[in-house]
Amino acid sequence: MVELVPNLLRQEMARLAEQDARIDGRGRFEGREITLETDCLYNAEGSAKVTMGKTVVYAGVKFEIRTPWPDRPAEGSLMCGAELRPVAHRKYEPGPPSPESIELGRVVDRGIRESGCIDMNSLCIIPGEKVWGVMIDIHVLSDGGNIFDACGLAAIAALRTAVVPAERFDVGEDYTLSVNGTPIMASFTRVGGRYVYDPCEEEELGGDERIHITIGDEGHLHSLQKGLRGVFTPQEFAEIFEVAQEKCVELRKIVAKKEAN
Amino acid sequence: MGGYGDIQLLRDDGLRLDGRKLDESRPVSIQAGILPAADGSAMVTHGLNVAVAAVYGPMEAHPRKIQRQDRAVIDVRYNMAPFSTSDRIRPGYNRRSREISKVTAEALESAVLVERFPRSKIRVEIEILAAEAGTRCAGITAASVALADAGIPMRDMVVGVASGKIEDTVVLDLDKAEDNYGQADLPVGILPNTGEIAFLQMDGDLSPEEFDLAMEYNFKAAKEIHEIMVDALKARYEGGDN
Repeated sequence: MVELVPNLLRQEMARLAEQDARIDGRGRFEGREITLETDCLYNAEGSAKVTMGKTVVYAGVKFEIRTPWPDRPAEGSLMCGAELRPVAHRKYEPGPPSPESIELGRVVDRGIRESGCIDMNSLCIIPGEKVWGVMIDIHVLSDGGNIFDACGLAAIAALRTAVVPAERFDVGEDYTLSVNGTPIMASFTRVGGRYVYDPCEEEELGGDERIHITIGDEGHLHSLQKGLRGVFTPQEFAEIFEVAQEKCVELRKIVAKKEAN
Repeated sequence: MGGYGDIQLLRDDGLRLDGRKLDESRPVSIQAGILPAADGSAMVTHGLNVAVAAVYGPMEAHPRKIQRQDRAVIDVRYNMAPFSTSDRIRPGYNRRSREISKVTAEALESAVLVERFPRSKIRVEIEILAAEAGTRCAGITAASVALADAGIPMRDMVVGVASGKIEDTVVLDLDKAEDNYGQADLPVGILPNTGEIAFLQMDGDLSPEEFDLAMEYNFKAAKEIHEIMVDALKARYEGGDN
């Protein structure tokens, strides 16, 4: 379902931007409150629930044993997928995976994969015969804006709590999956002509293009994505990249704090 | 129903493996209004099952061929999350979820005052986040609370409950092991206020007497769960901030 964007909403966004204000009263680079729960799904080997404003997402980790690719006999695999099912918003319709949900899953996947936080060789059971396939499935239950950051956070938090179910597959004892790093995503949408951090539903509806930045523990970039129609300048990117660095440090602390408890 | 005879499901003291009595349900807890994007929503935790339901509408029914001139149609999708079972489920519709969606929709259409909303559609999305036998019942219960939370008029809320048979003994609310190795399962959707049944399935082997006892257990459980459903809705709207 294509949502109508009332001109009035866009005009209001432009008016607010002139006063450097946002529709929900936040500062330009102020995020919504985040709550993170982990180990919240029975049957998932690792799980997390993230709420950010009106956005609610779950991520669950499952393992399977597969035969390795012939050219990489000692490497396991990691796959991250997202589902934007009709439960999440009236705008989503049933059917095969939409381009939007494929983009979402792949952007989160790249951030985690490219950060190198999972050593694929550590997923080897018997070289050339048996390796672990790790699957992170993200389930968006309520889309209240900025599902990318919520999904990114849920995925890495779930992965970091995952326990490899070796006993169930008869290949040894269960052990905690080794995850060396916490890649975090920060997303910005152009609203009323300028970028804001963590857009809410109205801002996405009345805004333009978006940029997603995933940053690792060392401050390095691991995935970038520009989505939707629009252009930006290098100066604009420099500004939000700096903000993203700060936001990712903050969010990483939320994950660390949860794990310390 | 496998009906494997060599698996012991009842202990020597007559209780079940998890310590429940024959007519004892697993613990149930319900929250209403947990999904902000939806018009109505609910989460039901029934034992280890977790079912979430979202309701959207009434809204325009499209494509137009599904419209009914005299009533609303209820469009239900029951879906199991990939991580909800011990082996991952490939995302997407399958025969089982299609059938459950169909009979669930028909059960809800029997309770909702659909004639109030001609030519419209009410969307009910049921997502199973964790499965441990009994997900269709938890889904029906969640859908009913979500419909009520959305302010949709109903004759009564449909309560999903199940009884079954293990080791030739009728028991209420089968868990995973009892479902896998038991002899019968009888899930029903009950309207406790009217004493009517809106949802009925069964598989396995039950004598007429066993069926009567299983139904008796189901009605008893439905009354108890109905109270929890009402409490969840009251808790949601107490304080008047909605």
